[in-house]
Amino acid sequence: MVELSELEHDALVEIFNIGVGQAAAAMSGIVGEEVTMSVPSITFLSRIEAAQLLEDAHRRSGSMQGTGERICGVSQHYEGAFQTEAILMFPEDKSLEIVRLMVGESVPLAELSEMEQEAMSEIGNIILNSCVGTLANIFQQELHGSLPVYQVGSSDEILDATGSRAETVVMMLHIDFILEKHQIHGYVAFILDVTALHDLKEQIDRYLARAMGQH
Amino acid sequence: MPNPIVLIVDDSRVSRLVTRQHILARHADWTVVEAGTGEEALARAPELQPQLVLLDVNMPGMGGVAAAEQMRRLLPAAHISLLTANVQEATRKRAQDLGIGFMEKPITEERIARLIAPLEG
Repeated sequence: MVELSELEHDALVEIFNIGVGQAAAAMSGIVGEEVTMSVPSITFLSRIEAAQLLEDAHRRSGSMQGTGERICGVSQHYEGAFQTEAILMFPEDKSLEIVRLMVGESVPLAELSEMEQEAMSEIGNIILNSCVGTLANIFQQELHGSLPVYQVGSSDEILDATGSRAETVVMMLHIDFILEKHQIHGYVAFILDVTALHDLKEQIDRYLARAMGQH
Repeated sequence: MPNPIVLIVDDSRVSRLVTRQHILARHADWTVVEAGTGEEALARAPELQPQLVLLDVNMPGMGGVAAAEQMRRLLPAAHISLLTANVQEATRKRAQDLGIGFMEKPITEERIARLIAPLEG
């Protein structure tokens, strides 16, 4: 696996914090209250490890509330400076909570569920595009995204829905999503193959070289 | 008048590096000091007496807004600005109420130029 240095890692965390910061501003406009979003950590995992991490995180939050074991995922495929499948993931019950915030209290639960897909796709679009857009801008490159696809399933199913399993690495961003009365933990996964990971590292190094004034 | 002193407060090393580079590219003779947290910045500010303080908002510990509030009292004459990607009205309003500036991330040459302009006279 391609290893990132401490400085490369710091650069990535900072870029994604800028990305979710912009997403938070957009989300705030939608839900009508202050939204704070941050990326406290990024880890590189195999798909199996990533699925395990999601399951563990879900079990911890689910056991207290007696909820199901499904997560909701919104994915978009990106091509350009590097190729990746980006997936935003929340526990299913949290996704309804977010949708509730978007549409207000007056909508009955049954209708809320009907809107879930559309609302989550919109949120996925905002958060993923802010992250990827910031990456692209800072790398001075272009990344083109497909339309968001919404899915509900086990963590395995969500991570596997993106196709080829061979030699892929999951770059997992932990996201803290804080609204006035809600604190929601979600994840963004970037599925990268070896080539994509190499391309990403190269882009970070170019950015760092520019940052250090070695234009 | 002695050369200006700029204090950069950000938990990201890369972010501090980029800001420093942009300032020094324009003014190689200025002093640029870095702090990784609000607490560290507040501890060093009285002795440093920076003319300009740039603060990231999301940092471990007290965070940039609380640090800016205390910094305002410590350095009534200094130029203080938040530097953040979170450009919400709530944050903007808070900065305004504190009498501090507000600049969007990512850090660019043009944005830094605007922040340091008051020191260029």
